[in-house]
Amino acid sequence: MLQVLLSGLAIGAIYGLVGMGFAIGFYVTRVINFAEGQLLMVAVMVAAAIARAGVSPVIGIVGGIAAASLAGVVTYLVAIRPVLIFNRFSFAWLVSTLGVGLILENLAAIIWGSTSTSFPTLLNGTSVHIGNATLSLQELVTIGVAIAMAIVFELIRKRTLLGKVGMAVALDPEMASAVGVNTTAVAVAAFALAGLFAGVAGVLIGPITYSNPYLGETYGIAGFVALMIGGTERPVAAMVGGLILGILGQAANTVINTQASDWFPFVVVVVILLLLPEGLFSIRGTALRGLLRGVRRPSESAS
Amino acid sequence: MSAGALGDQPLARAAPSGVRGRPRWRSVVTVSAIALYVLGTYGLAHGTLYIQGLVLVAAVFAVLAVSLDLVAGVLGLYSLGHAGLFALGAYATTLLYTNHGWNLFVLLPVCVVGVGLVGLILGALSLRVSGLYFAITTFVFTLLLTAFASDLSWTGGFGGLVGPIFPHFSSGLNWLGASLIWCCMAVLLVAILISLALRRSPLYPVLLAIRDAEPFAAAAGARTARVKICMFGLSAAMAGAAGWVFSFQGIVSPGQFNGPVAVNILVMVILGGINTTLGPVIGAAFISIFPVEVAINPFWQEVLFGGLFIAVIVAYPAGFVGFLTMLGRRARDRLRAGSTVAQGRPAAAVSEPAGRRLAPTEIASVEAAAREGAAHPEAVPLAIEQSPRSPAPAGGGALAVECRGINFAYTRGTPVLIDVDFVVRQGTIHGLIGPNGSGKSTLVDLIAGRLRPMSGTISLDGKRLERDGAPARARHGFMRTFQAAVLVRELSASENVSVGYYTRIPRLAMRAAAWPILPGTRREAGALREHSATALRFVAAGQWADARVANVPHGVEQLTQLAAACVAGPKAVILDEPLAGLSPTEVEHMASILSELKSAGVSVILIEHQPRFVFALCDEVTVLDAGEVVVSGPAAEVRTNDRVREVYLGQ
Repeated sequence: MLQVLLSGLAIGAIYGLVGMGFAIGFYVTRVINFAEGQLLMVAVMVAAAIARAGVSPVIGIVGGIAAASLAGVVTYLVAIRPVLIFNRFSFAWLVSTLGVGLILENLAAIIWGSTSTSFPTLLNGTSVHIGNATLSLQELVTIGVAIAMAIVFELIRKRTLLGKVGMAVALDPEMASAVGVNTTAVAVAAFALAGLFAGVAGVLIGPITYSNPYLGETYGIAGFVALMIGGTERPVAAMVGGLILGILGQAANTVINTQASDWFPFVVVVVILLLLPEGLFSIRGTALRGLLRGVRRPSESAS
Repeated sequence: MSAGALGDQPLARAAPSGVRGRPRWRSVVTVSAIALYVLGTYGLAHGTLYIQGLVLVAAVFAVLAVSLDLVAGVLGLYSLGHAGLFALGAYATTLLYTNHGWNLFVLLPVCVVGVGLVGLILGALSLRVSGLYFAITTFVFTLLLTAFASDLSWTGGFGGLVGPIFPHFSSGLNWLGASLIWCCMAVLLVAILISLALRRSPLYPVLLAIRDAEPFAAAAGARTARVKICMFGLSAAMAGAAGWVFSFQGIVSPGQFNGPVAVNILVMVILGGINTTLGPVIGAAFISIFPVEVAINPFWQEVLFGGLFIAVIVAYPAGFVGFLTMLGRRARDRLRAGSTVAQGRPAAAVSEPAGRRLAPTEIASVEAAAREGAAHPEAVPLAIEQSPRSPAPAGGGALAVECRGINFAYTRGTPVLIDVDFVVRQGTIHGLIGPNGSGKSTLVDLIAGRLRPMSGTISLDGKRLERDGAPARARHGFMRTFQAAVLVRELSASENVSVGYYTRIPRLAMRAAAWPILPGTRREAGALREHSATALRFVAAGQWADARVANVPHGVEQLTQLAAACVAGPKAVILDEPLAGLSPTEVEHMASILSELKSAGVSVILIEHQPRFVFALCDEVTVLDAGEVVVSGPAAEVRTNDRVREVYLGQ
């Protein structure tokens, strides 16, 4: 039981980081960057390549994350901004960001080969025993880093001017730009951050998956599902969505059968979406709002 | 129903003068295009196996893309469930044929109806949410179906199943060539024709209104949720047919219907040109043929593919068709440059179609024309004038609109309207005034059916309506305009007005998919154009009939809204601040329009802020303040009421 929970949290933390990457970009520009998964892959591939060149893995990690972040910004400038300038509400970015994903994936395959290659072991060799569960130190660090990043992000979003500017752009870009916000700069920052989240997820998962140009597809879809579970209103909800998805997948694999993680989480997503069409943590979600109202009503009548 | 019966009358009358030339010329083009298509199919059916293989795949995806465009392009519902619906058709055909020996040709209607029904259910469930969440819910449907197809044993797992073989032509028809090509191309042709029929039917402006201006469509009488679900069902049925055809092409396996495929179909639609008939076909052909034809290093090929995605979308966000129309427009402009433009008629500038912004000088000249029109309003008889209702004797007419004891609150505990009584006599203009936040717009939304009262009754001509939604009230003859005009910006003014006629075209939604081939529809369409033009002339916006709403000044938008509310011959119209943003001459003209409506026996509810105008024009006035009626009665009395002078006129 504890094993399922912890392994689920470890893989779910990765989904959550990618999901938050999706969510941060979406939060500011209302665009789903379908190349988000490929940003994770870029981090893994670059970090592995630097490490293979014999440099310290720490430089590889930093380089990988920086590359993913940079790729995020380039995606925005090349494939998203021009489309939004034409029509802020069109869905054409779907095609252009998928195009970026295709290019990143296949360029990686051309440069580094299309098969799995090694990745520095980092902390994956060390095992940690918690109760009757066994976890690698890497997995434990993954959980910690992911949760810490989610919390820091939320604090920045709510407590700093930068975060508030981001919220303003998210709500109404025209109004924000009317009061002097450089919306392009905010969007660039958001996509740099989105790339950073995917990059961190990449270097955390790298020791387990090794480096492979097709990693992006797997983790891209998982991150997207995490976003669906959490809802798009607050990016941090995607982290919770990812953790839930991870635990559900692990539980399904253990309890039902080894393939159940293919479909079980989706059944849960369907149920969640039917009950709460705007995601689990939406303030507008019907059931949750009903609960809140139920809680609030007695106090109202008392006052 | 009575609205439908009434609708037939003006239709029949207007028929002889209905515009005819264009549709006939169009059907000649359509028939020759179909003939060419059949010839082309004959050629392909005798082509090499390699070409046939390419065409089969491209055609199946073209059917899917066309079906997806019917919801994504026309209604703005970006479905990622079409891969799942496609899978249902293919698996159902394969399983029922292989395991139960069903006839292949029985399976086609089975797939169409079955998958269509699944689509209705999926649509009804997912349409509770819109935008991105609609995409997500339908995406989950696709993911679930493919996950089950891979995990279950009776679907053959990851390897899939071998599909049935499509029977060859019998010896007598052998000269036709490959039967599967004919079958595939026939399904594609039907899909394209359905898409064309919908686009040519009067339902098309209504569908775009549902996409872009849902309150407007609902106020015009369209049951928007039901229309959306039915369109999704139709689209799903087409996807089911695509699945049926696909099952004859060899293996049916989960990898052919998974998430990336779902996204790919949408890519085909957007890349080809969303909300066009040909765009999805071009997009599908490009995406399914490009990877096979461009035989370079597969990785570089994919990079090139991705690069093309970006290049096309960034350069032409309207996709390939956007590129083609740009070329076409350029060619036409060049042709025209020598001849027509030199004459410089203002009307030519207005009727300029697609996208082009008017040059400043042109705007000046059309505005001058508009002013002229406003100063000398053309006396245009409107359909309502012939309505049997006679003008009411001033002040003493029967009650048309009757609201009694209306209570309403958006959130519990803060009432917006308290015990409001509001009556409008037939054939009068009734002003509704009050300070900001007094509940005017809420009352109007209650009367028009956008909101439901918590208690109280609303009736029109003695018929209780408070439980009906906005579309049902439109059917009873209640029309309205909105404070901020909500119109379909990409359609012309007259097409926007035609949305208002929705309730008067019997069973339009049912007939739209086969519109051009049904008997009498050409006459109906002609009559509709005639009515829309008349209504626009009635509001003195006749010269704007062919201008895209995106390019017209604000005042014309207001007039277009008014024309849309009047075109169907309403019993009562609600005008929510119709004067906002109008110039003094336009205001004067609006006054004459309202008087004309009144003399035609229409009851008018007018919300307005300009007291001068309200008291001059209205027969009766109701003043609201803080959710309560201050006073209601003949305009002259209300004007001298002390409390009104205090709370509203500030005297």
